[in-house]
Order: sequence, then structure tokens, then C-alpha cells
Amino acid sequence: MRPVLLPASLEELWPLMRDHPGAAFMAGGSDLLVRLRQGLVDPPAIIGLEGIAELGLVHDEAPGWLFLGAGASHTALLEHSLVQRRLPLLAQALAVLGSPLVRNQGTLGGNLGTASPAGDTLSPLYALEAQVELRSATGSRRLAIADFILGPGRTALQAGEIIYGAWVPLAQDWSLAHFEKVGLRQALAIAVVSLAALISLDDGGVVREARLALGSVGPTVVRPRQAEQALLGRPLDAASLKAAARLVRQEVSPIDDPRASAHYRRQVAGNLLLRLARPAD
Amino acid sequence: MTWPRPHLQLGLPPRPDALDKASGREKYACDFYPPGLLWAGVKRAGVPHARLRGLNLAAARALPGVTAVLAAADVPGVNRQGVVQKDQPVLVDDKVRYSGDALALVVASDQATLARALALIETDLEPLAPVLDPEEALLPGAPLVHPERPQGNLLLEGRVTTGQGAAALEGCAVVVEASFDLPRQEHAYLETENGWAQMGQDGRLTMVASTQTPFRDRLEVAEVLGLEPGRLRMVAPYCGGAFGGKDGVTVQSLLGLAALHAGGRPVKMWLSREESILASSKRHPARLRYRLGSDDQGRLQALEARIIYDTGPYDHLGGAVLTLGLEHAAGPYRIPHVDLHGQAVYTNNPIGGAFRGFGVPQVAAAMEQTMDLLATRLGLDPLELRRQNALKRGDVNPVGVTLAGSTGLAQCLEAVAGHRQWKEAPAWRAAAPAGQRRGVGLAAVLHGMGYGPVIPDVANAKVELTGEGVFRVYCGVVDMGQGNAGTFLQLAGLVLGQEAEGLELVLPDTDRTLPSGSSSASRTTYTFANALLPAAQALKERLLARAADALFATPAEMALVPGAVRHRPSGRTLPLAQLAKMLSPEERTATHRYRAPVVPERPSADPALQLHGLPHGVFSYAVHLARVEVDELTGLARVTGYLVAADCGQVLNPQVWEQQMQGGVAQGLGYALMEELPAPAGQPQHTDLATYLIPTALDLPPIECLAVPSWEESGPLGLKGCGEIGIDGPLPAVGNALAQALGRHLPQAPFTPERVLMALQEDGKGAGS
Ligand SMILES: Cc1cc2nc3c(=O)[nH]c(=O)nc-3n(C[C@H](O)[C@H](O)[C@H](O)COP(=O)(O)OP(=O)(O)OC[C@H]3O[C@@H](n4cnc5c(N)ncnc54)[C@H](O)[C@@H]3O)c2cc1C
Repeated sequence: MRPVLLPASLEELWPLMRDHPGAAFMAGGSDLLVRLRQGLVDPPAIIGLEGIAELGLVHDEAPGWLFLGAGASHTALLEHSLVQRRLPLLAQALAVLGSPLVRNQGTLGGNLGTASPAGDTLSPLYALEAQVELRSATGSRRLAIADFILGPGRTALQAGEIIYGAWVPLAQDWSLAHFEKVGLRQALAIAVVSLAALISLDDGGVVREARLALGSVGPTVVRPRQAEQALLGRPLDAASLKAAARLVRQEVSPIDDPRASAHYRRQVAGNLLLRLARPAD
Repeated sequence: MTWPRPHLQLGLPPRPDALDKASGREKYACDFYPPGLLWAGVKRAGVPHARLRGLNLAAARALPGVTAVLAAADVPGVNRQGVVQKDQPVLVDDKVRYSGDALALVVASDQATLARALALIETDLEPLAPVLDPEEALLPGAPLVHPERPQGNLLLEGRVTTGQGAAALEGCAVVVEASFDLPRQEHAYLETENGWAQMGQDGRLTMVASTQTPFRDRLEVAEVLGLEPGRLRMVAPYCGGAFGGKDGVTVQSLLGLAALHAGGRPVKMWLSREESILASSKRHPARLRYRLGSDDQGRLQALEARIIYDTGPYDHLGGAVLTLGLEHAAGPYRIPHVDLHGQAVYTNNPIGGAFRGFGVPQVAAAMEQTMDLLATRLGLDPLELRRQNALKRGDVNPVGVTLAGSTGLAQCLEAVAGHRQWKEAPAWRAAAPAGQRRGVGLAAVLHGMGYGPVIPDVANAKVELTGEGVFRVYCGVVDMGQGNAGTFLQLAGLVLGQEAEGLELVLPDTDRTLPSGSSSASRTTYTFANALLPAAQALKERLLARAADALFATPAEMALVPGAVRHRPSGRTLPLAQLAKMLSPEERTATHRYRAPVVPERPSADPALQLHGLPHGVFSYAVHLARVEVDELTGLARVTGYLVAADCGQVLNPQVWEQQMQGGVAQGLGYALMEELPAPAGQPQHTDLATYLIPTALDLPPIECLAVPSWEESGPLGLKGCGEIGIDGPLPAVGNALAQALGRHLPQAPFTPERVLMALQEDGKGAGS
């Protein structure tokens, strides 16, 4: 029988991790249990994280940063006033993640740990240039999200570490925060393409900064730097967005799978930019 | 805890079964875990076509906890099953014909041991070239699924011609032509196939299974097991959904075989979702080519239809599906000249079988989209075109049957014409925001009821006054979720003057209830209630007479009231419990057999088509309307409004009726928008419901259902069937709405974002191009 361990604090967690090398962490279990049932993983033990209250914290105590605990459920984040007020981009993504039940069960840490290119919180976190904090018995380190996620299902998490949470910089007020997920149905659908966009416009409506992050069109979330660059100094109109969209289509590297063809994903990855068009003043 | 008894007022919610189901008290077949339970499961082929050279069962047999490992040679009776053609092995003996074929059966002490034992079975399969395309399957030299059949891969071919047939197209002022490609659809019922069985010490086998057809199953399983049917008892609790997928044996023969080797212990078998998707029957994929001609006023003149159904490796009910499709291929219109030709073709793909709609959604998709092509060509309003040609009572339908009974299509069309969703359609379309296209589409459909002219469409009802003075209704036909059992209770209560306290229900059980056919074919309530009402009436008359005798009165002076018979002039009552004691069990029981009428016309002299159900005489009708919004950036088509106006005769329970319409429409919208189970290399591409998508609540619009009730003379209290008419229309209604939005028809369903976007781009009109 596979032991299931339920530490109530980080202090209880560390020795369990030492004694059960190779144990799988389980937060909400909404990814892990699926993989267990499919026989894709067979860990010697499972360590449940849900009893560690500290992992569920959300706060803005560090000036300029918002901290989102790995154990916070998607529902808890979605309902949190700090997330609603300060991170509308993430809130938009959380609102279409899975279904109410999956949002109650799933956590931010689990979405990061799964590191799927379709993870709905990931493209917003890339656009926000969030950092991931990892903790171990002996210390803590922070990595840019793009350095934390290495590939589909692969992260920089090392033995002895857990995902502690995400730090999101609050430096900027964005003129536009837009998230859109294209799935094959309106709920319980994995993204076929997703776009997280943060745009800062000057008073004349000209783009000062643009951050784009696309999900499900490559092994990890894609930041199409050339497209971002191409928008700078231009109004957010159809012409400039179409030009950027062409670059997006070159910068993504989608694959065919049963949900959609690479061709469709590439087209739509570009098309979604057009949703950002703002009527000229 | 005491539970409130549901009230039983015909016409008022809630359904009598609602509370027990919602609270979890109702037991489905899968809810039984008798003590000492063993588990059975099978090794599936996993390849679409192969010769079975051998099986090595030794390692599985040697595993501790394994009770039995069985192969084809262990089947004591006939190792072939099937409703019409017995062409499906219980366990493969010579050859694998699809990936889901069962090779060996294991009985074990628990599920983990079962899984281990199945993994230990070694198979020796010699691959054969599979035949996967139904058109290629008909070419000379194609691999043969059943080499012994003289007709090769053709399961059944049918042709119906009237008037001058296709030749009449020559004389038409306008002819439109189109092809359609329709997907394989999975039933996706909540309760996967399962049951449990036990061999009793008396040598009788009892089986509880999730099935639509307990009486037919009994005969089939008995033949497989080499037992007298009387030694089998089949019990059919409420089903957790079936939609045709449990019309025929699923686990039953295997389960029976397992029980013969279980040493008298109960055995349970329950397919996982993955196994269910691999092995179960599906809606037939179909390819259709239509040519439709009219005069310059839009009066339909001639239709040529060419239809191919991919029936997979076994008949299942493929021949019957083809035949019903053929009969409905020309839609609910007057067309004097038709040439309808259809083929059901064997392949090594998943099994095509019964699925709500039964061949009709495919032909309705073709006919109704072709109608819109014609309307466009003629510059006619699509509703007007349908109005002009709609069948009325007294007309001869396209296959030559006089519609002598209720025919409410014209009224359905009027209901839609007068409805806000239709009247406001032009304004709504014009108000589409930038980047969006809108369309509103219609489909008019009909659906025949019952088994047709040859196979007796029979129900046998039985009602008993128990020794305790309660009326027991013996329901011989399954309730798979549609609510018919509750309606039967209500109908009995209506005739017998009883409230819920005075009535009980016995669900289908071959030892207790009487054979009443399948829960299918829009015939369940129609046929069974036609038997039940006279049975209840006969019992009532007998009880009134016997009570009158006891009180030295006349029957006319007596009335059945809740729990008693009352002598009306004096007010004296005789409690039913007391009356029951005065009667023998025979006197307390009434039965009635009903056989649905058949029509005298024979559109085809082919006895095979007649056997498979051609023609029908009673039809339900409906007009569907879908509002569709298309996003130009993603190709996502969303149905944002839906209306169905349906003539299903009289509506006994508006809530149950609406649930049937909404459920059918929802499943039909899945078929239109997202449901598709391709089988590249004969292997279902989706293994579970994470990638085989069915609509969620958010994918469905509000579905407005308008009852347009006619009075069907042959129906019980004027009703007709309503189980399938809801699923026949959504795909063409959505297709027509999309065509309006895109400026062209999409030949291939479902209308996924990818297909829609490609259509937008090919027009060079996509916003992102
Ligand atoms: C029906 C369904 C629908 C879904 N829909 C969506 C969707 O629309 N969008 C989407 O993005 N996802 C979706 N998912 C996936 C899943 O719900 C999310 O990825 C969710 O965020 C996972 O969180 P969890 O807490 O349940 O993770 P778990 O399953 O508990 O864990 C996932 C992985 O992360 C690891 N892990 C978890 N917490 C930590 C930690 N603190 N430190 C280190 N490792 C950790 C686990 O060991 C495991 O490998 C869906 C899943 C299901 C079952």
C-alpha cells in the first residue's frame, strides 16, 4: 500500500520529505489523481499539502509585490480582493479555468507543478513576469517563471524543494489587461490557444509597452518578443495588430493533437491579437 | 428518516422518481455489491483486424485470487449474438473484427487481481489488413470482415423508389446537389455498461443489468449459455442513461458465462469509461449525397438520395438503422418522385448501432440542409419553402404511406413563424457586432414510432391489487431515465383513483413483469401505456363489481377512491385491503396485451426492409430553430438561442416532455458542434471524456420548447412518442444558421472552430487574414 502523509505545517513536512524520497506532492490532486489513474506515475508515497495553512496565504506585505501561496485554490484566488483589484489579467484566466468544481479543488501550485503549456494561470504569470518561490528545509530561492518552467511537465523544482508560491510585481498600471482562452467548449476545456496581454498606452493611445504570452502553442508558454516589439510606438489599431499577428504566427511552434491542428493554433494565436484593437480616440 | 411519498398527479412535477434519484436512494445496477462478490472482466483485442492464432492463459490462471479464465471454447451455447443477425462472438474464436472484441474472460476475487490477470494474458494475433472506409469496403478485393458472407461487406442495402424516381430530376426547374459527412457519436451515458449475476442453488441464473431490453437479453444470453430461457431471470433497474447504447447485450453474456464459473458466488462486471468507449456501439458515421429538384415555385418534385452508413464489424442494429434512415431520408414533405438508396457496410471500425434518432439524424442533416440550399437558389424564405411542401394529414408521404393519423407539422411551422425568435431573426442578425457573424437556421423533422410492420410491437401490462390493498403496477419496459415508469404509475393512479400511497411499481424483471419490448424507438410510453390503461380499467371494473356484490349493490353505484371502494348512495366504504381478502390472486390481477397497429402499404417488396421496420404509420413532427453566432477570429460557433416546436400528440407530463426535448436537443447540439469519435487505424481516437467532448451547461443556450399537441387516435390518451424528435433537428438547424452566417454550407460535421475558421479563410473574409 502506498502511504499518504498529511503534514500540518512546513516543520512537519521537511522530515517526511527526507524519509520518503520520490514521494509525490498532492495539493488539490486534480492533476495528480488523473495521472495516477492513467498509470503515468507510480510514486512510492503521497504527501498531501492541504493541511499546511501557510501555503494558502495571499498578501501584499512586501512593497511592490503581491504574493500568491501555492496552496491557494483557484476559487480562493478568484474571490480574493487583492487578485480582483490588482491582477485582473490573472482573474480573467482563473474565471475560465476548468469548472467551479475544478477551481475549488485545483491550486496555483498544482498548475505550476504540472507545467502544462495549457495551464491557464501560466500565460498571465508570464506576462506579469512573476517569480516562483521554492522552499526547502534549508532555504528559499526565487526564479523567474520562465526559468522555473523548463518544458511540458518539467520544472526547476529539485528534490527537497516545494513550490511555496508566486510573487507578482505590481510596479505598473496597465492600460489594458486581456486574457482569452480558446477551448473546444465553454467549460472543462483545455486551452487550444490562450493569450494573455498587458498593454501600456501613452496619453496619445500609442503603445509604450506590450507583453504578450501565449499558451498551448509551444512546449512552454511563448512570449513573442518580435510581435511585442512591433507594437511599440504604434497605436493599437487593426493595422499594427495584424502586423504583430503575422509575427506571432512565426514565433509560435504549435503541434497537431486530437484537439486542434498546428495550423489552426498558429492562425488563431495571431488572430487573438486583433481582440486588443481599440477604437482611435 | 422518513421520506415524503411523491404525489402522483399526472401533469404536475416533480417526476415520481426524482426524489429517490436526487437523494441517492434509488439503486442503479452498478450500485449493488452483494456479499462475496467476484469481479469479471475481459481482455480486449486492441487491434482492428487479426486472426486469433492462440491465447496463453496459463499465467493468468496461476495467479492467486483468480477464479476462472475463460475463452471461446468455454462458451457452452452458441458463441454468436446479435439482435437481428447473430454475427458477434461473445469471445473471439476465429478472428478479431474490431479493437473492442473480447478475447478472454477473467473472474477474480477483486478488481486489482482482475487487472493483473488480464495483463498476464498473452495473445497471439496475426494482423490482417483492416477495412476502415465504408466506400472502399464495397470495392472488389477489399478485405472482408465476414468472409463467409456472400454479400461481402454489405450488411444491408435498401432502395425505395416512387413515381419516376431520379429521372424526374430532369424535368425540374431547379436542382440542388450536396454531399454530407457525419461523424461517429458516442452515447456517453453516465452509467457505463455493467451488471451482476449469480447462479442459484436451484440452478437458476439471476442477472441484474443496466439494459434497455431485459426480455430480449434473456433469450440471447440463454442461447449463448445453452440454458433454457426459463432458467434465467433478468432484472432491469432504472438505467443511468442508455440512448440506444444498451439496446442489446453489452456485458450480459460475458457476465452469465462468468457466473457459471463462479461457484455460486455473485459476479460483477462494470466497464471503465475507457473500455466503454473502446467497446460500445456508436452512432453510425454516414456519408450522404443528395439531389433535390423543384419547380420554379418551390414545389418539391424529385429527390435522389445516396446514403452510406459505416456499421462497423457487427450488425448490432445497423440494418434497422439503415432502414429507418431510408424511410426518413426525404423528410416531412410531399415529394412525388424519389429514389432513395442506402447501404450499411461492414468495416473494422467501432460498432455502429442504436443511438437515439436511429439513423434519422443523419438523413435529416442532409435533407434539411439541402432544403436550405434549394431555398437560397429559389430566393425563397426557408420557412416558406417548408410550409409549401409540409406533409398534412391525408397526404401520401415520400415512401408512399398515407398519413391517416395525426400530422402536426404545419402547426409546428406556424408556431415557429409566429415566435419572437423567428420574427426578430433579421433584426438580430443585422445587429451582429464587428467581428461576429450571425445566422438563424431551421430544420423540420419527423420521427416514426415503433418496430414497423413485421416485428410485433407489443406490450403486456399487469396490474395487481395486493393482499395489503395496494395497487402494484408491473412495468415490463425499462425506464432508462426518460421517466416513463413514473408516468405508468400516474396513469394507473388516474384510472384506479389512487394517490401515491395506494400504488407501487415493479420495474422490469423477467420473473415478475410481462414482456413488453425494448425501451426504444419512441415507442416506450406509446406502446406500454396502450396496454396498461385497459389492464387498469379491467381491474377497476372487476373490483367495482366484486365490491358491489359484497354490499348487495350494483357496480354503477360504486366508486374507487383512495384506499377503498365507496358505495356512493350510502357512503359506506369497503377498504381495498378488505376487498383484497375476498379475492383470489387471479381475481386481483388484470393483464392486457397490446400490439401497435401496422400500416398496409409496402414501399418495398424486399422482405429484409420490411423485417427491419419499413414502413411506419405514426410519426412525431418538429421544427427546430437555432440562433448561431460565429466569432471571426477563432471560428467558434455558439448557439445562443434555440426553439423547438413539436407535435408529439397529447402531452401527459409537460415537465417530462420538456426534459425529453431539451435532452434530445442538447445531445443533438453536441453532435452539431463538437462530438466526433474518429477511429484512425480502427482505434477510437478519444479514450475518455477529457477529449471526447460533450456539451456542458455553458455550451447550451436556453432551449425553448413549444408543445404543438395534436390528438393521436391510436395513442394512449392521444399521445405519440417524444424521445427522439428532439435529436433529429439540431445539426441541420445549426448547419443552416452557419451557412447563413458564412455564406456557404459546411459539408463536414461537427462544425468545430477549426472547420468554421477554415471556411471563413477560404472565403478570404476571415478577420485575421
Ligand atoms: C476536469 C479537469 C479540468 C481541468 N481544467 C483545467 C483548465 O481549464 N485549465 C488548467 O490550467 N488546468 C485544468 N485542469 C488541471 C488542474 O486542475 C490544474 O492544473 C490545477 O491547477 C492543478 O492543481 P492541483 O492542486 O489539483 O494539483 P495536484 O494534482 O495536486 O498537483 C499537480 C502537480 O503539481 C505538484 N505540486 C502541487 N503542489 C505543489 C507544491 N506546492 N510544490 C511542489 N509541487 C507541487 C504535484 O506533485 C503534481 O505533480 C483540469 C483538471 C481536471 C481534472
